[in-house]
Amino acid sequence: MAKVYVTGLGIITALGDSLYSNREGLQNGRCGIGSLDYFPTKYAESLLFGEIKLSNNQLKEILKVNDLGVSRTSLLALHAFNQAICDAELNDKDLASRDTALIVANTVGGMCLTNELYQDANQRHFGSEYTSSYDCGSVGIFLQARFGIRGIVNTINTACSSSANAIMYGVRLIKNGHAKKVIIGGTDSLAKFTINGFNSLQILSPGLCAPFDNNRNGLNLAEGAAFLVLEAESNFVNQKVYAEVIGYANANDAFHPSTLSENGDGPFLAMEKALKQANLEPSDIDFINTHGTGTENNDEVESKAMIKLFKDKIPAFTSTKSNIGHTLGASGAIEAVYCILNLLHQEIYPSLNFKNSITSTGLIPQQFYYKTTLKNVMSNSFGFGGNCSSLIFTKV
Amino acid sequence: MFYIHHTVCISPQISFPEIDLDQLIHCDENKLYAQKVAYSDIPAAMLRRMGKAVKLGVAASTPLFKLYDKLDGIIIGTANGGMEDCIKFLNQLIYYEEGVLTPTNFVQSTSNAIASQLGFFSKNKGYNITHVHRGLAFENAVLDVGMLLADNPDSNYLLGGIDEISDYNFNIDYLCGYIKKETINNNDLYNSKSVGSIAGEGVAMFIINNNQIGAISKFRALQTIHTTDEMELGILFKKFLIDNLLQNETVDLFLSGENGDIRYKKYYEYFESMMTKDVVIARYKHMSGEFQTASAFALWVSNYIFQTQHIPIHMFKKDIFKKKDINNIVIYNNYQGFQHSFMLLSKI
Repeated sequence: MAKVYVTGLGIITALGDSLYSNREGLQNGRCGIGSLDYFPTKYAESLLFGEIKLSNNQLKEILKVNDLGVSRTSLLALHAFNQAICDAELNDKDLASRDTALIVANTVGGMCLTNELYQDANQRHFGSEYTSSYDCGSVGIFLQARFGIRGIVNTINTACSSSANAIMYGVRLIKNGHAKKVIIGGTDSLAKFTINGFNSLQILSPGLCAPFDNNRNGLNLAEGAAFLVLEAESNFVNQKVYAEVIGYANANDAFHPSTLSENGDGPFLAMEKALKQANLEPSDIDFINTHGTGTENNDEVESKAMIKLFKDKIPAFTSTKSNIGHTLGASGAIEAVYCILNLLHQEIYPSLNFKNSITSTGLIPQQFYYKTTLKNVMSNSFGFGGNCSSLIFTKV
Repeated sequence: MFYIHHTVCISPQISFPEIDLDQLIHCDENKLYAQKVAYSDIPAAMLRRMGKAVKLGVAASTPLFKLYDKLDGIIIGTANGGMEDCIKFLNQLIYYEEGVLTPTNFVQSTSNAIASQLGFFSKNKGYNITHVHRGLAFENAVLDVGMLLADNPDSNYLLGGIDEISDYNFNIDYLCGYIKKETINNNDLYNSKSVGSIAGEGVAMFIINNNQIGAISKFRALQTIHTTDEMELGILFKKFLIDNLLQNETVDLFLSGENGDIRYKKYYEYFESMMTKDVVIARYKHMSGEFQTASAFALWVSNYIFQTQHIPIHMFKKDIFKKKDINNIVIYNNYQGFQHSFMLLSKI
């Protein structure tokens, strides 16, 4: 089967609207989480968020979007999509080829438009401009129409592992001969729906999230988007290549709708199966970008699963959610981009806000920036409903 | 691509647990609700917390879990998942001005709640995914299963398509112009000259593997595209048939997703005109109603036709008035005029 390479990257997060600003932020241990300037919610004063400091109108202006009914989720996606296709030098012909697929992951869709959705869902007299923009599919449909994509188009929602599964689907499309190039991305914007949902589950931290710290008390919700261009090996004409997607797996924890099982069967199986797929041993993994949300449940369970798999040789690991917060459906794609930055520059970025290790597991994330030799890096994404996925990228 | 072994469908028609499609169940105010079923296998405490889509999914899968205790994965296509719970939660947060809310509706509302509850219910730790690409959500689930079986040839998978009518998505679809303004009966759907269709819902579940022995049908090919260009579609459809039918093979039945919306009739008529005179043409949206994953109902009804070699009379658009075996079916569906799919399947 063809090898699948990453040839283009695009990203927008609370750390910045480019690959450059995101790397600079990670290198310097910068935190993009803070108070809200744009998104209106009752929790603006009491909770911290990873907000992108651009209004919808600013985004529309930068992106030259004049159409009606484009949600913030779609605008963030478009920003990262533009960067990724530009980076991979895809032209209009590439985009319109029946061999170019588009896979988008998100969990919020147009539900960030709380008042409009409330109005449109509860009466039948007059509709807002957003009536076709609420579902998760609306983002991919917007990009498909804007760029005239003719190949396979899909949207995946497996909660917080959505975009890891989108990458996996994209790789498999290429390996199975259904596409030669795949543009895959994840996007989510802040929404009252998710803020209140996570708040009702009591897993939002009032302060900065502290992944893998013994006193961690929840996550910070955030927004962002990242896109990657994947291409089959045979497709290259002297072009830059960032990394190979070598391992990928999806497993279900089959335990509880919003909590991981005590021993982390789902996370363990996802990591183990990804290694098997990549034909690697646990000792081959040099670094893990963990799911590391900063919730009591996730970090302890993820630690246990890592210990079970890697025994006493736990690879270096961090959680970039300490820099940008939890971007839900976008997190898998954003963290894939970060893993590729790790590989490309042979460097590790510090995990923030860690003081003491979790009593039961004792794992300590990397807290300082350093250069090192990295060959294989793993990215974990676990979602509600027990949807666990792991990806492995390797240096080329 | 793969073989279909067992099918279960809960639909607006009499399809579960007994099947009687000859008697057409009528719609109510342009809505075709799925038939109520007994949820005897779901514990009462769990049932109370489940939204309709999750309940339908579990009810349709339980008989299949009994047949296959070791499935290798669960692949679901659903555009909206639990829409009812989703807007219930939204309404609460507006009503209580982001006050103290209970998480039940939130947790049940995520699109992946169906697949994950099925994983939980069957203690299945295998591949678990939810495709949500509006009118091609089920088609992408089909493609996913095809790829899974190419990579893991000895596996058995549960494939499903499911969506629900809630008052909320009905309102939104109405405002978008996808529901008819005037109230019509479903037996009159195809005579309508207006825009919009009637709303539908349902679930169809399939056991899929690579084993021809004991299979009902072989799923041979899938093609999807986003376009409004009839010419492009015509070229693609011709190529689809040439690429996938053997030289001496013919299509016996063209199963059309015509939905009574005058705007999209041209696509269906165009493909029908490309069929030779001995091809039966039948329709199904008057049975299922229109919804994003209605093509899962079409796949189910195709397997019913293979098994029984019987087409209910209300389904015919063009009868050829001579007895012939139905061995090859092409399903064409179109959602909102721009999401198109062709599926080719053959009787085993």
